[in-house]
Amino acid sequence: MALYKVKRVFGEDLGANNPVFAQVLGICSTLAVTNVLKNTVVMCAGLIFVTALSNLTVSFLRNIMPGRIRMMVETLIIASYVIIVDIVLRAYLPDISRQLGPYVGLIITNCIIMGRAEAFALKNPPGLSFLDGIASGIGYSYVLMSIAVLRELFGSGSIWGYKVLGASWTNWSIMVMAPGAFFMLAIFIWIVKGSTNRGEK
Amino acid sequence: MSKEGMIRKRIFTVLFMFLVTLVFISITTVIYTFSKDTIRFNEALRLKKAVLYAAGVLVSEQPREIEQEYKKRIEEVLESDGTVRYYIVRGDDRSSVESYVIVTQGPGLWGDITVAIGYDETGSRIAGIEIIDQNETPGLGGRIGEEWFKQQFRGKSSPLSTVAEGEAAGEKEFQAITGASYSSNSIKDIVNSASDKVSSLLRKE
Repeated sequence: MALYKVKRVFGEDLGANNPVFAQVLGICSTLAVTNVLKNTVVMCAGLIFVTALSNLTVSFLRNIMPGRIRMMVETLIIASYVIIVDIVLRAYLPDISRQLGPYVGLIITNCIIMGRAEAFALKNPPGLSFLDGIASGIGYSYVLMSIAVLRELFGSGSIWGYKVLGASWTNWSIMVMAPGAFFMLAIFIWIVKGSTNRGEK
Repeated sequence: MSKEGMIRKRIFTVLFMFLVTLVFISITTVIYTFSKDTIRFNEALRLKKAVLYAAGVLVSEQPREIEQEYKKRIEEVLESDGTVRYYIVRGDDRSSVESYVIVTQGPGLWGDITVAIGYDETGSRIAGIEIIDQNETPGLGGRIGEEWFKQQFRGKSSPLSTVAEGEAAGEKEFQAITGASYSSNSIKDIVNSASDKVSSLLRKE
């Protein structure tokens, strides 16, 4: 595997072609799980795992898979990995599994996974597809985590469940609710686009 | 393409889908079979811990100690269908009744909330509550699971009403969570209706 290809994959997924702020995929979960950092981290770990492995599997099957049923197969593969994540969480991290509740199952509907399978894994060899899955997952994760840190800080005065802002801090309830996520995501996209587009035009 | 070729292609498509499904279902089934017991054990342990917590018994985090304490202190009163109607909590001498615990459910904002509620031996004062299951908004209604919120029910008696978060609460009051009035009211309703249930249960005994 050529190093420059790996570099390009990571560069694209973390920067110019980032799944969240460039492709605007996976927004439902960005809004839903980012009010508490701990849930966000587990969600991101689950997504990296599922994206990487589904990319790998789809890439292995890409040459024998009949084109007309490829989306059925991809959905089946993705769903299976998500069920595995769900079972493992319920068995070994029951507290976090309960907190995430239905969100774990909803990893299946995260467009990033299907998007990468369709756009990348169908055309590239398994190793590179696996790395692309990891890179997309990380690209998604760092955006979510930055939003989650700010939302939990302003909304609950804490980070990772530990109080960091003193008793005089008034929690901004809106940060914990869905609208807070819209604001934070929009500001995030604004800052990123604002700084990368400078010099164009 | 010849007609025969078309048919062969279709059969391959169906076969391919069937095989992929078979492989993945087998993998998930194997993983599920291996972790099934752990998952069940976790759920049972959580319920036991909740019952002890609601009864006001100090609970350790160690599974073995929870099991021991539960075995020593708790007696399950069963319905005719084998489900638990309520739990009797024995004192250290194992014969006196210290408190009663019931597990009950009520609607929350996003789904049902399951709560274990403990009462003293007369059934009039609350010994404690523990949230077993809830789908409230994390960070808002989800805070019903926080220690300060659950602890404030100890020693209170129904019918309860709410005061604002941070305000002093009387004997029949508890602090609601700011930004989560709906979830707080759900807990109020669940606890109040459970109290009625407990007094009628104890009257029957």
